[in-house]
Amino acid sequence: MTTSAIARDAFEVFGTTAVLLVSRPGAIGQARSIADRLLAEVDLACSRFRPDSELSRLNAAGGEPTPVSATFADLLAVALRAARLTGGDVDPTCGRALTDLGYDRDFADLLAAGDAPPRLTGPVGPVPGWTRVRLDRGGRRVRLEHGAQLDLGATAKARAADKCAEQIADRADCGVLVSLGGDVAVAGQPPEDGWRIRVTDDHAAPEWAAGQTVTISSGGLATSSTSVRTWRLGGRTVHHIIDPSTGEPARSCWRTVSVAAGTCTDANTASTAAIVRGAAALDWLHAAGLPARLVRHDGTAETTAGWPYDDPGDAA
Amino acid sequence: MPQHHIRTAVQNRDAGLAKITALSWRAGAAGVAVAGLLTVALAHHPVAGTVPAGYRDDHGSILIPAQPPSQAPGSGQVTSGAS
Repeated sequence: MTTSAIARDAFEVFGTTAVLLVSRPGAIGQARSIADRLLAEVDLACSRFRPDSELSRLNAAGGEPTPVSATFADLLAVALRAARLTGGDVDPTCGRALTDLGYDRDFADLLAAGDAPPRLTGPVGPVPGWTRVRLDRGGRRVRLEHGAQLDLGATAKARAADKCAEQIADRADCGVLVSLGGDVAVAGQPPEDGWRIRVTDDHAAPEWAAGQTVTISSGGLATSSTSVRTWRLGGRTVHHIIDPSTGEPARSCWRTVSVAAGTCTDANTASTAAIVRGAAALDWLHAAGLPARLVRHDGTAETTAGWPYDDPGDAA
Repeated sequence: MPQHHIRTAVQNRDAGLAKITALSWRAGAAGVAVAGLLTVALAHHPVAGTVPAGYRDDHGSILIPAQPPSQAPGSGQVTSGAS
């Protein structure tokens, strides 16, 4: 199989860019149909910016048990698993922290609003914590202890990429790469040399942007960064990766972390946790056997667990 | 057959029936108890069809990839960066 046989489709979703690559060009239409349906389900389940989403209704339920769909139960289960596996460094109860930072609307609208005064005058404090979430998976009911507000953004997009890739490979019988805002999942038979991915700070950067090109043949790859999705609040620049222990944007020694894992969901979980953990992330990723590339604010990089050597001249 | 033999036989029959009845009740009660315990135990498991599709919660750790990424020359087919 050669790269010349690959078909591509790109479109906007979740306020970011989605890219589909399939190894059988005739399958691109079917792949898009599968992705459109799955992504619409995910958006209706867990968008923070849709008043009709299940997540919005749950956040407004005032601690009452709320019935949820199978899709929402799956996305929440994934988020709670991520929290458990990272000791709470990736926590779905950061919804109120993001709202307090002004991120209570679509990101494009947030940017258009410009610098806003801070909503809180005192310290924010830790997020309520993922153990305040009760998910009855069999009964498909969820209860948030009073005060907890969910945001599933850290894991839901990656989970959606995994599900799209899995279903497209199964139904369209082809190799597939799904990228949702830089969260990459692959499934099916890969191209002979694997899928080529340019790893950089911003998913919207061109394929030749400063960074590193790697190939993967299975699983997923995700990148988290404090230099993207930033906005101004009270005269300072803030970003969207919340440190659950403070409720504030994480103050990390890493500008950008990319991780390869068995799934895109797990790659995203690890890259987000690495930003929050800061310097301690190196040992954690080594011990977990997770290949990763961690870029400091000055552009120098570290790699772990078999991630290919990063030429410093290429790591800007 | 002498009368006292008949009485003894009847008593033995009644005693045997009483034992069988008692055993049957015990077995039945035990069955009900086991069924109740199974119901309680299985009630904590999701019913088939309500388990989120494709999700595997048996992984107690983050899944490592089958193989690490390989270095490649040139540009990528897609870009992985934050969004």
